Amino acid sequence: MKALRVVSAMMRASVALALQYRLEFVVEGALAVLWMAVALIPLMVVFGNRGAVAGWTYPEMLVVLGWFVALKGVLEGTLSPSLMQVVEHVRKGTLDFVLLKPADAQLLVSLSKIEPWRVVDLAGAAAIFVYAFQHIGHAPSIAQLSLAAGLLVAAVLVLYSIAILVVSIAFVAVRVDNLLYLFQSVFDVARWPNSVFRGLLAVVFTYVLPLALMTTYPALALLGKLNARTAVAALLGSFLFASVARLIWLSSIRRYTSASS
Amino acid sequence: MIEVSHLKKWYRVHRRQPGLAAALRSLVRRPYEDVKAVEDVSFSIAAGERVGFLGPNGAGKTTTLKVLAGLLFPTEGQVGVAGFRPQDRAHGFLQQITLVMGQKQQLLWDLPPSETFLLNRAIYDIPRAQYDATVAELTELLDLGPLLGKPARQLSLGERMKCELAVALLHRPKVLFLDEPTIGLDVSMQATVRGFVRAYNERFGATVLLTSHYMEDVAALCPRVMVIDKGRLIYDGALPELIRRVRPDKRVILRFSKTVERRDLEALGTVVEHGDAEAIVQVSQDGLQAAVARALASLPLRDLTVEDPPLEEVMRDLFAQGRAA
Amino acid sequence: MSVRAALRAYPQFLKTGFASAVAYRAEFLIWMFSTNMPLVMLAIWAAAARSGPVGGYSQRGFAAYYLCALLVRLMTGAWIVWELTMEIRQGVFSLRLLRPIHPLWQWSAENLAAIPMRGIVAFPVVIILLWLARGELSHDWFFWLLLAPALLGAWLLYFLVQAIIGTLALRFESASSLFEAWLGFSNILSGYLVPLDLFPSAVRVLAVALPFRFQLSYPVELMLGRGTRVEMLELLAAQWAYVAFFFVVTRVAWRSGMRHYAAYGG
Repeated sequence: MKALRVVSAMMRASVALALQYRLEFVVEGALAVLWMAVALIPLMVVFGNRGAVAGWTYPEMLVVLGWFVALKGVLEGTLSPSLMQVVEHVRKGTLDFVLLKPADAQLLVSLSKIEPWRVVDLAGAAAIFVYAFQHIGHAPSIAQLSLAAGLLVAAVLVLYSIAILVVSIAFVAVRVDNLLYLFQSVFDVARWPNSVFRGLLAVVFTYVLPLALMTTYPALALLGKLNARTAVAALLGSFLFASVARLIWLSSIRRYTSASS
Repeated sequence: MIEVSHLKKWYRVHRRQPGLAAALRSLVRRPYEDVKAVEDVSFSIAAGERVGFLGPNGAGKTTTLKVLAGLLFPTEGQVGVAGFRPQDRAHGFLQQITLVMGQKQQLLWDLPPSETFLLNRAIYDIPRAQYDATVAELTELLDLGPLLGKPARQLSLGERMKCELAVALLHRPKVLFLDEPTIGLDVSMQATVRGFVRAYNERFGATVLLTSHYMEDVAALCPRVMVIDKGRLIYDGALPELIRRVRPDKRVILRFSKTVERRDLEALGTVVEHGDAEAIVQVSQDGLQAAVARALASLPLRDLTVEDPPLEEVMRDLFAQGRAA
Repeated sequence: MSVRAALRAYPQFLKTGFASAVAYRAEFLIWMFSTNMPLVMLAIWAAAARSGPVGGYSQRGFAAYYLCALLVRLMTGAWIVWELTMEIRQGVFSLRLLRPIHPLWQWSAENLAAIPMRGIVAFPVVIILLWLARGELSHDWFFWLLLAPALLGAWLLYFLVQAIIGTLALRFESASSLFEAWLGFSNILSGYLVPLDLFPSAVRVLAVALPFRFQLSYPVELMLGRGTRVEMLELLAAQWAYVAFFFVVTRVAWRSGMRHYAAYGG
């Protein structure tokens, strides 16, 4: 399959590039571990003082954090660096080179740069899950696992779509390079389950900026606490979101090409 | 003004190989090698001279310039500029020199050049009256008027280079190091920059040391040239003499009133070009007189001129000779 | 490179720094809005304190703490490490070295000149703080008097650490990772994510002695009126001792970085 070949070639180039910087490679791997600890420590302190917060016990909260660490790895390891390059392309006017290549532009730009050491995040997330379920005392069932996997796909899709939307804005208003950075920091909110928030914020993080979809629902699925209706709605909603993002991306690409020629 | 004796500069660099496997290997063991950027260079330049520095890529031009500006320590040898040792980077030294690099800019990218002007006025502590006079002068020489108020990013490459030069000269340095100042500029902008450098040199008696890829820059600007190749100075003197030495031949350009057989031209020398109305023949220095006499006597000539070979060719031959030796 | 020359040039540095802060206003706002960690942390603690105070902090107490932390972070920003590593990579750094004033002067002015811009974002935080948590703030004018040198000290610590790590970029291909590591430790040990007095005592003892505390927790403690006047004065002395120490380290690191740069080139 051509798309697969393109992706694997791009990944190899990224890995080779990353390996060029010896010090960076070692340090970045260690950094990923450090940041995971930074995410865990406040949680440990909170639950050192309380048995449950907003209806979540410590191991349950760890499951949410596990999803957060994994998705943050995906976001900062693949999506952000790649899309930052698009913004750079737009500013320098070199995006044309990308658009000239005979492959889907969205695919090309969204995986063009990968930070391989972010695999550490996924490993860390797995470790957190194992630890959390040891505390809970029983492993999730196959049904729960597969539902969680489905929701993971949905979560990545939504995350990816938001990133693509942010970049589409960069086509129109070039000076918003840091918008992606802003989103990255808003994403930090997803480390808590959405019941931590109340009132307006809870609504925003569930429906407007669907952070609940990314960490809370998959965590609930693993814990066997997600009802079927919410699961289906989440899956459908995420596909809808991705389609809209794709349409907006295509239209802004069209606008870009017609404006620059 | 500038004294260099037995300058040597070596670097150690990491050698990189392409490919994933090699990249992985380099995580464990990093191969290093010494780059002998400058091997043994000596020269001296008097105040007010304009000197061109020639050489192929990687010959050691920029390294020498950076040593002279005090950015790099010499590995061996002595260097003196305006009575200072550049590597001490003394206040008095920095006040007297400037370095312009065609590919690096010091203008603040998102602010108008006038802001960078004010900044440099503060950095070099230029008295108000002198600053005003210098700005007025530079504005007139470079026609900067309409450029100073626009953010630097909105200026064209040539406009930016003009501002870059002005910023670098605000403190009226006595020594100018220009590294590829005309790179990427169009022909008329190159001429503007050349004219300006010459005017500044004449007006302030400043010493100019310039590297360039464009032979035209050097020919138009520098009565003296130094040629560096593989870290060694292989020529130091006037440009015409260099040409004579490298290419001891002339080009005779002939224009005909009617077509001439190639055979007749070959009797004069090596035929470089042959057309219906015009031909170029390459003739050795010694044979020039005879060849011209013969052409005048035997060919249906309308016009005859004698020229030096083109500069770019001279350089190509020069470095080719250097390689062979 | 005399200090006198640098001080004479300083007002112009500040003016230019302000002009560039204005030119980059959009980026600035986004940067500042992305400083949201204190609020994220506030969310979980506020949820935890719904059923009653945690370790002496009520919901309001947490709000006061994290808003103060946000304010300190907003007002003590520095970014010279990014600028240094970028300029070294691009080779523009050479041009800076040819100027007869130490580059750190200009960078410090640039970072300071952005404070009015930062104030625009920080001001609403102050308003919310005064409205939401006025009861939690210090009532002693002396503490507020100490806040000015404490904030300056906090900024200097941050700036000097960045200068030191940025200077290392002259030797290592990417020192910015090293700075990230510093940030990670500082997030935990400066009280940015968790108030230091909520840590188990072993961690607290460590955190109180390390320089991180003086970057953030100490000014926040002043605003919240923790401790006595004498204690706070002692802490101010400790903070400035750290500033002096980092200043010396900066000089040493710069000199050695320059030697390396001059030997190997950029």
